[in-house]
Amino acid sequence: MSKKIQVSTTINGEPVEFLCESNQSLLEVLRDGLNMTGSKEGCNNGNCGACSVLMDGRLVNSCLVLGAECEDTKITTIEGIAPKEGLHPLQQKFLEHAALQCGICTPGFIVAAKALLDTNPHPTEHEVRYWLAGNLCRCTGYDKIIRAVLDTAGVSS
Amino acid sequence: MQQPSLLGQSITRIDARAKVTGQAHYPGDLTMPGMAHAKVLFARRPHARVRHIDISAALALPGVLGIFTGADVPNNEYGLVLFDAPVMVSELENGNLAAGNAQNLKLFDGIVRHIGEKMAIIVAETEKIAEHARSLIKINYEDLPAITDIHEAIKPDAPQLHPHYPGNVIQRYRVRRGDVEAAFAQADVIIEDTYWMGAQEHAYLQPEAGLAYIDETGRLTIQVAGQWTHEDQAQIAHALKLPLDQVRVIYPAIGGAFGGREDMSVQIVLCLAAQRLNRPVKIIWTREESMIGHHKRHPFWVHAKLGATKDGKLVAAKINGMSDAGPYNYTSNKVLGNFTGTCVGPYDIPNVAIDSAAVVTNNIPSGAFRGFGAPQGLFVAETQINKMAVALGIDPVELRRRNCWHDGTITPFNTPVPPGCSLNEVISACAENKKLEGAAPNASFSILNSKFAKGTGFACGHKNIGFSFGYPENSACTVELHGNSEIEQAIVSLAGADCGQGAHTAFLQIASEALSLPREKIELQLSDTSTSGSSGSASASRLTYMTAGAIVGAAKAALAKWQDEERPVKMHHVYRPRPTTQIHPQTGEGDPNITYAYIAQSAEVEVDIATGQVHVHNLVCADDVGRAVNPQQIVGQIEGAVSQGLGYAMLENFVTEGGYVKTAHFSTYLIPSVLDMPDRVQSIIIEHPDPTGTLGIRGMAELPLMIVAPAIVAAIHNATGVWVNELPVTPDRLRQALKKQH
Repeated sequence: MSKKIQVSTTINGEPVEFLCESNQSLLEVLRDGLNMTGSKEGCNNGNCGACSVLMDGRLVNSCLVLGAECEDTKITTIEGIAPKEGLHPLQQKFLEHAALQCGICTPGFIVAAKALLDTNPHPTEHEVRYWLAGNLCRCTGYDKIIRAVLDTAGVSS
Repeated sequence: MQQPSLLGQSITRIDARAKVTGQAHYPGDLTMPGMAHAKVLFARRPHARVRHIDISAALALPGVLGIFTGADVPNNEYGLVLFDAPVMVSELENGNLAAGNAQNLKLFDGIVRHIGEKMAIIVAETEKIAEHARSLIKINYEDLPAITDIHEAIKPDAPQLHPHYPGNVIQRYRVRRGDVEAAFAQADVIIEDTYWMGAQEHAYLQPEAGLAYIDETGRLTIQVAGQWTHEDQAQIAHALKLPLDQVRVIYPAIGGAFGGREDMSVQIVLCLAAQRLNRPVKIIWTREESMIGHHKRHPFWVHAKLGATKDGKLVAAKINGMSDAGPYNYTSNKVLGNFTGTCVGPYDIPNVAIDSAAVVTNNIPSGAFRGFGAPQGLFVAETQINKMAVALGIDPVELRRRNCWHDGTITPFNTPVPPGCSLNEVISACAENKKLEGAAPNASFSILNSKFAKGTGFACGHKNIGFSFGYPENSACTVELHGNSEIEQAIVSLAGADCGQGAHTAFLQIASEALSLPREKIELQLSDTSTSGSSGSASASRLTYMTAGAIVGAAKAALAKWQDEERPVKMHHVYRPRPTTQIHPQTGEGDPNITYAYIAQSAEVEVDIATGQVHVHNLVCADDVGRAVNPQQIVGQIEGAVSQGLGYAMLENFVTEGGYVKTAHFSTYLIPSVLDMPDRVQSIIIEHPDPTGTLGIRGMAELPLMIVAPAIVAAIHNATGVWVNELPVTPDRLRQALKKQH
């Protein structure tokens, strides 16, 4: 067994320490090591975006990030999006617009949309579509997702 | 006080909060104390005889708990319709058939028939150890020639691929109505062409996964994503030779299905492992394993001929169609039936001859996928009538209005269309929404001098609701009522799978209507074989239609007892729609379908002449849903189905070579992203009640997918003057077609 790497990081505002193999992805660490299963594995090679998380505010596919790269970073996952009580506005708008069906891609979309709105609070529809092009959804046809994000941003479409 | 019913309201789906917070549990998210991990070894060769399987080195690896092969499966066969596939392919012993049971000796023949055949399930303390052990299993194969082309497979001297299917044909249908040859001789215009439609992958975002264990009552239990709990239960029990009540199937959240979870994937092998080891065992397939491990939409080759008089009356249609079934039936015979029932379209054609066949090959098995043969049938039917419209110089909408089904029209099966046919209304609703600009390409348009060309196209279609051809359809529900002077709580138990389509929310809404109760007084017990009877499958656009019958029936019975002062009340009801029949083997005569739903679409496209790229600007979809249980969810079904239909039409090219898959990842098998979608999908919900069902409800979930391809292909022709007869219309194919034409 190869030597495990000790990593100190912050996940959803809480300090977290974990041990991982040198070749373990952040997604594996989250799901298998920390039992945070909100981030989903749809492809494990960066095509689908279901595992999207924020790393120091930057949107990443956690299947393409090594656990060992998380030292001294701040990670935000779907589990850390909502405030203590209630839902994040994006989550609320996803409900209202029925922007999900099977829901397996939904955490990734919400995390990706949050990353957009954090830096660009009033995006155009065009910007939302391009930003979310890295997230695949097989159920909804995307339109309701776009509406939900634009509505959250207070942008009419 | 009468409570407002939830039926018809766009309520938020009951599982939405868990899904937006990441708290919803899918099979891959489940864990249990003492859980072991499994991997499956696939054959990864299309056709071979298994000489010897050596698991000794793999078993010796520290951390390996057990390895099971076909020899460990008590009844090594499975299949949704026919038990014609081995759970795992086992080796030949001393050149003889290994000890199997009498029913499936021929399947116990040590033959690998496609690359996704399972050879072993490996269980270990960790997934990594299981993977390592898998690589240590040594199998001595003798490769056999692979037949992967249906035209090769039906040649008289072709190797016979499956002992149950002489001539390499699983099923044939033959339909004869009137005299097609005489009618063609009288026709003013004849359209004749050959079509090819490739395979399509379901690409649900959640790959196959499951957790099997022995529950607190000693029952073998699996939590898995499927489409029909009780069918999974029956197939597991059959293969493992267990009584039904010793197998329990539970569906947690399901990450999409679309027909792809209708046949067995991990269910039987995972249950076998958990039973033998008496330990919880979990498995998660990778995307690539999912791609090779489950069936695809049937590729179809079709030759079609359509005749009409010059005033636009269709007089004759002739079809010769063959599907690539892969080596096992799965649902190929049923899919072929639906193809046969759709391939000349929803039109009154007095002379029809259809010959169709499901052909055995060494490709990955084909099976259920949203639309179930109708997308293939309707691509041919609708492209033929669009070509006819151009040839006759008649508007394509007008040509459809002159020929489309009405109540009582005689179908190719020589029996009348069931009551409630709204096709003409649906066509009008779609066409009037957006004025189409004629069918023929603009004569002044010079393609050589243009970079972009715009066009519009139209298509319509019909889809049977439910399992047809004599299948004894049924759906069960139990309603319990508690309280004293008034009902304080209703417990509604049924199994129907929510694959993401919102079925469970629809059940709540129908129960609210049937019991006149608000949502807080209704508790649903769902998707667990231990708490309810079978709802049948979440497929064939049948689940809402059938469960509405079950819920309303159980509610009525329970309310009657409640009126008689019985406290508490518990009533069970099994809904059975009107029976259907097989069709006659020589004439096709019969009454195979309970009822139909109807749809029409128009598409506006822009073609980049240099690259062959097609962008869909606008897609209008008019869908008769009978009664909209939840309009917002219905629009979601339309938009999602349109995206899959658009993928089928233009993007999703499932490439195989000699039985090997070349597109086993999302980097090579392209499903639509948000940038591939139409700028707008306009959904028109029509509520023309279906008199055959319950509350007027029709099935709808498959329909918006079925006719996207013919609408887009017609629009491409309208833009460029080029017909493309192969799906998907990739930029490369379209560029080639444009080159040929100009």
